[in-house]
Amino acid sequence: MPNREPTDRERTDSEPTDTSRRLFLGGALGAAGLVAAGGAGFGIARAAEPADANSSDVVPFYGPHQAGIATPAQDRLAFAAFDVTSADRTDLQTLLAQWAAAAAQMTKGQPIGSVETAPDNPPIDTGEALGLPAAKLTVTVGFGPGLFDERFGLAMHRPAALKKLPPLPGDAFEPDRSGGDLCVQACADDPQVAFHVIRNFARLARGTAVMRWSQLGFGRTSSTSTTQQTPRNLMGFKDGTRNIKAESAEEMERFVWVGAETDQPWMRGGSYVVARRIRMLIESWDTDYLADQEKVFGRAKNSGAPLTGTHEFDKPNLIAKKNGVPVIDLNAHIRLAAPVSNSGQMILRRGYSYTDGIDAQTGLLDAGLFFLAYQKDPRKQFVQIQQRLGQHDLLNEYIRHTGSALFAVPPGLHAPGDYYGKSLFA
Amino acid sequence: MPRLPRPAAAVLATICAVAGVAACSSSGGGGRPSAAGAHAATVTITAAKGCELNATQFAAGGITFTITNKDATSVSEVELLSGERILGEKENVPAGLGGQFAVKVDAGKYTVYCPGAQQERSTITVTGKAAAVNENVAALLKRGTADYKSYVDTQVGYLVSTTAKLNTALEGSDLKAAQKAYIAARPYYEKIEPVAESFVSGKQNLDADIDARAGDVPASKWSGFHLIEKSLFRDKSVTGMAKWGAKLVADVGLLQQKTKHLSYQPPDLANGAQELLDEVAASKITGEEERYSHIDIVDMANNVEGAEQAFADLEPAVQKIDAELARQISNQFAALGKVLDKYRTTSNSSGYVLYTTLNDADRRALAAAVKAVQEPLSRVAGKVASA
Repeated sequence: MPNREPTDRERTDSEPTDTSRRLFLGGALGAAGLVAAGGAGFGIARAAEPADANSSDVVPFYGPHQAGIATPAQDRLAFAAFDVTSADRTDLQTLLAQWAAAAAQMTKGQPIGSVETAPDNPPIDTGEALGLPAAKLTVTVGFGPGLFDERFGLAMHRPAALKKLPPLPGDAFEPDRSGGDLCVQACADDPQVAFHVIRNFARLARGTAVMRWSQLGFGRTSSTSTTQQTPRNLMGFKDGTRNIKAESAEEMERFVWVGAETDQPWMRGGSYVVARRIRMLIESWDTDYLADQEKVFGRAKNSGAPLTGTHEFDKPNLIAKKNGVPVIDLNAHIRLAAPVSNSGQMILRRGYSYTDGIDAQTGLLDAGLFFLAYQKDPRKQFVQIQQRLGQHDLLNEYIRHTGSALFAVPPGLHAPGDYYGKSLFA
Repeated sequence: MPRLPRPAAAVLATICAVAGVAACSSSGGGGRPSAAGAHAATVTITAAKGCELNATQFAAGGITFTITNKDATSVSEVELLSGERILGEKENVPAGLGGQFAVKVDAGKYTVYCPGAQQERSTITVTGKAAAVNENVAALLKRGTADYKSYVDTQVGYLVSTTAKLNTALEGSDLKAAQKAYIAARPYYEKIEPVAESFVSGKQNLDADIDARAGDVPASKWSGFHLIEKSLFRDKSVTGMAKWGAKLVADVGLLQQKTKHLSYQPPDLANGAQELLDEVAASKITGEEERYSHIDIVDMANNVEGAEQAFADLEPAVQKIDAELARQISNQFAALGKVLDKYRTTSNSSGYVLYTTLNDADRRALAAAVKAVQEPLSRVAGKVASA
């Protein structure tokens, strides 16, 4: 099983266990004595506490798949899309290698470079994550369709599945919230650790790429592991109860990881992520009566159980009727999103609740779901599912899709020295 | 404004300045078997062992360092130091990439420094005598700072003469002529503003006296360009402005006296250039500076020109230390110049369109172009400080 995720034990064994971000003391200090305890040693003082103290805080960066997909969803998200502004292929290649090295550092809980530089030099790492734990940080990088246009000589590597999403019912995009040549998803249990990634990536990119849009997510809305509770979305409902769980290797292979079916072998072990900024009209929702709210989702608000069951994980009975009327409405969200309604298709949802303050025009809250979904072929998965949902979902009255993007997420980096898309530049 | 002449590319430009190109990272020591080790150094960076060199003895003259970063994610550059002075370096060599840099050195002991590596410093010994000793970096910097001083003195001279003309116009009653004179004087201040900002002592703040915007200082203390701007462009009146013109002439005269006695250190030029670009990115891009005349783009273009001049005076030295960085900064300055050129027009006396014609996309493009210069430029002060 070459493609399976490493177990926790394997992860701990193969990765450095020190996770504390420590001040860079600089080479002059001769950190040899300090390094001995930590093993790897980058001129960084090692923690004096037991080596294993925080090892559960580190998610391994290297592996067959990029972390941040099958990883149990962390609490916080910082996401950004970039446009490559340089037309120089080498600039792009250098950027992807710089990002890979920086991500490897940060996911270990270490700065990307010295903070205590010479007085005349700006610090290499911006420093706001010093002293914070690794916080289960994962950094996941994707390539947008634009990367495979004529600019960088990569057109022949473009996967057929990486095609700009077609217009879908329910699209109401705002300017500057869609698309991008590159994306980075940083997830962590500490928001500052996640933001630190976006900030340093933007800085490393300067002159080569500029941020096109970004989104912070303050709370996870999905459980991607059987060890996690299903969190509630901002509508107060448990949505995504039937999400793919990372423990199901069979479902991950079938629906999430790109396999032998791809036209681009370099994508094997990768995935595709669809990002949708879904604004909820929460003031309207809050005045809707309970029975209607439950009808919209097809679930009980309090227990999360389908309207045909009593417990959250009861399988919805989509044919049950009461007085001749379907108990779960024909256009209820769980019915339309159910695999049985979508030729058996599923997606791995990994979304986060967001708020961007208030809408300046109306004074209403600008809040909702930053929806992230991983899949092996968006043409057969997200696009099919959203066709149905966008047309019929009862939820549409209360939501607007204000931003959209699709990225090909290359497979994991196998070891230090590997970087995003390395084989494409060979 | 005419573009500044760019200094010619240095002779010692690295043979292969870009990272990651196959020919670079796989060409080993440069393929000179007879002189192997003498003029070709290979630096291999690994997470386990840090920075390793193929040899410790080299011959005086040109040495090319060929770098391969195999897997050290905490390392992204290699420097050659003499003491703490940077003689040459290669940045942007993250794990998985490689690159080269070349230096010309005389006999002595030098340090190969890989910040962040497991083994950060290695000593090399150079013996013999370099065939022709190049003009050294210190001499280039000395000339650069002297050139910058004469640039500042010249611009302040123009500031003095254009301000005198503005004052003459303010003594008359021709609004159009006064507006034109205002627009003609502004560029010279914007080119050298950080120099003026350095004169704050006690109650005296020359920069504020000359260039404060409404609200920057208490209303009773307000004087200078923007007070005049408000009258000329918002109130459309010259009335009562003569005394403010006279005060501006006096303040600018004082600035000239003070700058005559100034001398500059190399980091001053780098930091001054950075401050000028901060001006662009922070206040010009928002239209706060010229809020009545809306000639903010004129200010931006002149801030950029002042910054580019300061860098141009450092560039020959930076070329020697890090040819790729010099190339990167000058390319980004050129790209920024192109963005600004889009706003040139012959229909305004200022040569640029009014700020009010910019949209959000324009502002974003301008800000991104400025930041693209600032990031590599921020690394210059440290390199020239110890050179």
